Amino acid sequence: MRATVWSGRNKVQVENVPDPKILNDRDAIVRITSTAICGSDLHLYDGYIPTMKKGDILGHEFMGEVVETGRGVQNLHVGDRVVVPFPIACGSCWSCKHELYSLCENSNPNWGMAEKFFGHATAGLFGYSRLTGGYAGGQAEYARVPYADIGPIKIEDDLADEQVLFLSDIFPTGYMGADMCDIKGGEVIAVFGAGPVGQFAIASAVMLGAERVIAIDRYDYRLQMARNRARATDIINFDENPDVVEQLKELTAGRGPDAVIDAVGMEATHGHGAMFAYDRTKQANRLETDRPFALRDAILACRPGGIVSVIGVYGGLMDKFPSGALMNKGLQLRAGQCHVQKYTKPLYDHIRDGHIDPSFVVTHRLPLGNAPDGYETFKHKQDDCMKVVLKP
Amino acid sequence: MSSKASITVLRPREEVERLWRDPHYRTEHIEGAGATVRFVQAPGDRGTEIHVELGQSARAGKLGQAVQKLRGSEPLSKAKDDLRRFKQFVETGEIPRSDAVPEGELLERKFKQRPAQPLTQDELQKVGA
Repeated sequence: MRATVWSGRNKVQVENVPDPKILNDRDAIVRITSTAICGSDLHLYDGYIPTMKKGDILGHEFMGEVVETGRGVQNLHVGDRVVVPFPIACGSCWSCKHELYSLCENSNPNWGMAEKFFGHATAGLFGYSRLTGGYAGGQAEYARVPYADIGPIKIEDDLADEQVLFLSDIFPTGYMGADMCDIKGGEVIAVFGAGPVGQFAIASAVMLGAERVIAIDRYDYRLQMARNRARATDIINFDENPDVVEQLKELTAGRGPDAVIDAVGMEATHGHGAMFAYDRTKQANRLETDRPFALRDAILACRPGGIVSVIGVYGGLMDKFPSGALMNKGLQLRAGQCHVQKYTKPLYDHIRDGHIDPSFVVTHRLPLGNAPDGYETFKHKQDDCMKVVLKP
Repeated sequence: MSSKASITVLRPREEVERLWRDPHYRTEHIEGAGATVRFVQAPGDRGTEIHVELGQSARAGKLGQAVQKLRGSEPLSKAKDDLRRFKQFVETGEIPRSDAVPEGELLERKFKQRPAQPLTQDELQKVGA
């Protein structure tokens, strides 16, 4: 089959590789009909996630048709149309029983290696380095899906691929970012990053009852989408005024947002002047992996007693973490790779009931063979690129 | 150098002890290392803790440890592999295999991983899949 493989920093190519086979009883093989490039794939593309290897198949947002099932998979049948969550979860360990699917205790066969990086290992993820198991990803014609009796959600309506594809990651991820903010109605929520995940965090915060949602980005087209499609009430463009903390305080009459969502992660760009040079240099020399501007400002801007919710991906270590602000302001810091399996059913219902149509983020549709162009366009935000969907 | 390894399995103690003795779930490296094994009911709803302490014979000096590391035969790491696999097998009914680590958690694979892409027919036979 053809698959998008990582071949080093800033280099992916579409190559012929062997077709996937069933390796365990609870596996299924899916013929992929749509797959997307995620912002977190850019961290791999840019070379900031350790333990990648030449030839790794990328991609963790995919859906398609079941073409084969192992003996242990009773709930899926050949021909079923499914969306596959990006975390691989067994469904039977303590973490899975508590709906902490991205912390599955069994699905990562590189436990020993991951433990050295993070203290503990986390779940296996599709197409996301050896630290998360070394599983082939889904920017390909076919994928092997382990624990297929737990993860995939069956799509039984005539909804288009693009309306349900993002149940695999970015819609639940954005939703979890808002869910972690404990929105009860009437809050002001700020969202750093108006990329695809940020758009869904904004839309979800609105759905959950936030009164005002402030989108923060440097690209006007992304801020316009945040306002017009995700229904942000306010926008901040930090290219026009880099002091985001001050602007957030101004917009909230000095209080600060009740909760702040970091939908940016390790490659933030809004640092300026000396601090940016400091972090960028350390990162380029691999002395720190994470550029922490968004998280620093999130902590500084959040109102005392508020919540900072981190869904942007971080991979290692950062400098100058504002621990004083975190502690003295009594903030709660919440984070995580999304527990997708917890959210797929309720969010699928929201899509079916017409509360949201996630396809609004799609700006580029390409054949799988053009995946390398897709990565470049997305990375450099060319042509107002928001989300690239690949068709195998 | 620690000679201890442990893991928590989400099953009642009696069941864990019974499966531990079941040849189907055999933890060969721990058995071979003359280890002492203790089973303790974990706090709350966490299941059962398994504590393994390797016997004197399995411990090596500094040079010995270096050699064992190179050969991928370090007894403590092998014991940890055993514990991981036991937990996986008991809790999920299978040993998870990825494309990079098709045998499942394996010390010998730590520094010799495959690319994360499907195995060829030859490779599939080699790993017994």
